[in-house]
Amino acid sequence: MVATPAGRFIVKYLAALLVGFVLLALKPVNDHLVNPYTTFVAHQARVALNLFGEGATVRDQVLSSPRFSVRIFNGCNGLEAILIFACGVLAFPASWRSRLLGVLAGLVAIQLVNVVRVVSLFYVGVFKPQWFAASHIFVWQSLIIVFAVVLWLLWAQRYALAGAQR
Amino acid sequence: MPAPSAELRRFLWRLPLSVVAAAAIWLAVRPVYEPALCRSAEIAARMVEFPKVAKILRDNGYALIGRTDLRADSGWLKLSLTQIHFNAVPFLALLFAFPGARTRDTFRRALVALAVLALSHLLALVANVKVFYATNLGSWSESQYSDTARALYGAVRYFFDIPVTFTLPLLLWVGVFRERVLALAGMAQGDTAPRPSGRRERRPASRA
Repeated sequence: MVATPAGRFIVKYLAALLVGFVLLALKPVNDHLVNPYTTFVAHQARVALNLFGEGATVRDQVLSSPRFSVRIFNGCNGLEAILIFACGVLAFPASWRSRLLGVLAGLVAIQLVNVVRVVSLFYVGVFKPQWFAASHIFVWQSLIIVFAVVLWLLWAQRYALAGAQR
Repeated sequence: MPAPSAELRRFLWRLPLSVVAAAAIWLAVRPVYEPALCRSAEIAARMVEFPKVAKILRDNGYALIGRTDLRADSGWLKLSLTQIHFNAVPFLALLFAFPGARTRDTFRRALVALAVLALSHLLALVANVKVFYATNLGSWSESQYSDTARALYGAVRYFFDIPVTFTLPLLLWVGVFRERVLALAGMAQGDTAPRPSGRRERRPASRA
C-alpha cells in the first residue's frame, strides 16, 4: 500500500498528525504557542463581540462581558482542526506553493469559523446557559471536525489538482 | 481551476442533512449508550486493578469516578461523557454523507469502525479512572504513584482527550471508504495521482 501515492499520503498524514499532536503537548510549545494563540483567539472574539456592543474584555484566556464570561481552553481554540487540515495538506502530493497557500488559507478559514463558534457560544451562554455544554461539545466540536475535512477535500480537488493539471 | 467533482458536490450537498441525522441518532442512542459505557468501563477498570474498587456512576451526562474503599465524600472526579463520545456525530455524519450505493463490504467496515470508536470511548473512560487515582487523590496519589507515573497518566489523558477524540472519526471514515475517499480528494489508489512537478503519474495496471 505504501508503494502507491495514496498509501504514501496516508502514512505521511498519520506521521504528521503524530508529530503535530506530540509537539502541541510539550510544555514549552504549550506555554509559548498554544496559550498565546488561545489568548489571540479570545481577543478576536472580543473584537467581534464588541462590534455588537457587548463591551467584552479579555484577561488571559477568559472572555468577559457584563452579561457572561467564558474561558477558552486548549481544545476550543481551533488548533486541532487546523492540525487535521494542515497535516492533510502537507502530506498531499502537491506543489509546495499549493501546500503553503492551502495551509495559510485553511488557517484563516478555520480561524474565522472558530471566532463564529466562540461568539455563538457566548450568546448561547447569555440567552440559553442550559444549552451551553451541549452546544460547546456536541454541536461545535462536531462541526469544526467536519469543516476541517470539507476544507481539505475542497483544497485537494480545486487547488492541488489545479496546480497539478497546469 | 476545476470545479469540485460531481461526487464531491453530492457529498457536500448531503453533508448538512447527514450532520442532522447523525446528531438525531446520537441523541436517541445516548440514554442507552452512556450507562452501558459507564458499566463496561467499570468492569474493565476492575479487571486491571487489585483490590477491585473502581466505581463509575452516571449523572446527567457526566461520569462520576470514585473508589469504593474511600469515604463517599473523599473525592470523585466529574467527567463529561459527551466529551468522550461526541465524536460519533462527525463520524456518522461523514459516513452518511458519502454518496453511492452501500455495499455489504462497506457496511461490514462501518460496523468494525463503530466498534473501534466504542472501544476508544471505553479506553478513554478507563484511562480517566487511572488518571483519577494517580492525580486527583492528593497525598494518597502522591504516595502510590511516582512523578514519572503521574506524568505518564497525564500524557495518556491528553492522548485520549485531544488526538484520539478529534482524529479518530476522520481516520475511521477513511478506513471505511478507503479508495473512494482518496478518489474524492483526486487521488486514486495506485492509479493516477497529482505530482508536485505538475505531471500526472501513471502506473501499469498490474501494479495498481
